[in-house]
Amino acid sequence: MAKKLSTEMVELLGNYGHIGFTFVAAIFIGLGGGIYLDEHFFDGKTSPWFTFIGLAFGIGAGFKSLFDILRTPAAKPKDEDAEG
Amino acid sequence: MEHPILFISLILEKLGLPIPHGPIGNTFLEKLCEPYMTYTWFVMIFLVVVGKLTLSNIEMIPGKGQNFWELLVGGMYDFFNDNMGTELTEKLFPMISTFALYIAVGNLIGLIPGFMSPTSSINTTLALTIIVWVTHHIIGLRAHGIGYIKHFLGPIPVLIPLMLPIELISNIARLLSLSIRLFGNIMAKETLLGILFMLAGAYFAPLPIMLLGVLVSLVQAMVFVLLTVVYFGQAQEHAH
Repeated sequence: MAKKLSTEMVELLGNYGHIGFTFVAAIFIGLGGGIYLDEHFFDGKTSPWFTFIGLAFGIGAGFKSLFDILRTPAAKPKDEDAEG
Repeated sequence: MEHPILFISLILEKLGLPIPHGPIGNTFLEKLCEPYMTYTWFVMIFLVVVGKLTLSNIEMIPGKGQNFWELLVGGMYDFFNDNMGTELTEKLFPMISTFALYIAVGNLIGLIPGFMSPTSSINTTLALTIIVWVTHHIIGLRAHGIGYIKHFLGPIPVLIPLMLPIELISNIARLLSLSIRLFGNIMAKETLLGILFMLAGAYFAPLPIMLLGVLVSLVQAMVFVLLTVVYFGQAQEHAH
């Protein structure tokens, strides 16, 4: 019983422990891409527009990965129930 | 902060090899003698030697060593099988299970004084992550051909201009989050242990952190492997 509980705990940590980091990483990738487009690709002519667009897309991507994380493990227990 | 005592570095220094004093060496030999490289080799040698010792004569009725490996490898096989299908598991089991063993042993070795986790360097974790990231795209391209791009277009054609950048960003974010999570957790553990040893090592202050370190090491190895398996499975299956 205790073993089952601890495996479940580790699995939960594995599934949901990376939510924060994935969210932040997506925002930073979006923001970094926007800043790169502004400063290096268009030589600062379009500043700050692509930075904000990139930030918006980054936040969108963060929420999208959040929903992915929430959706993916929810499908698994049903399959296990169907088998067993 | 005081430099931690790493016994492989000490041995190499006695042998006359250059040990870099900064975070990264200048010459090729200095780069090879950095702690994370030498401890990576140590973990590799450890795994090979332990495997050789315990599995040199495989029997029908397993002994202690063989029993342990059968349990571990069998458990991992079942886990991969459940999460990404038999076909992918047959192909990629050696790679992912090697990653799992290497990361787990590499994380745990840092708890022993005089050793360092090779995974507490961003170079190691980024290398592992790039391998995983490239592999999951190769799996997707082989499974779907050019139709793999549908994975990045979202469910509705009207939303393609919105969904394409979002999907691309969240895909590249995998590269960042997978590497920095492992690196950050393990480096935090190492640094905390080092500071506590320096401040109050005589009063067993690092003990509770060592206990947590065991948990963090195993959970981070588990998270890395779980995410690898999930990414491979997602690349294989049909889009939405």
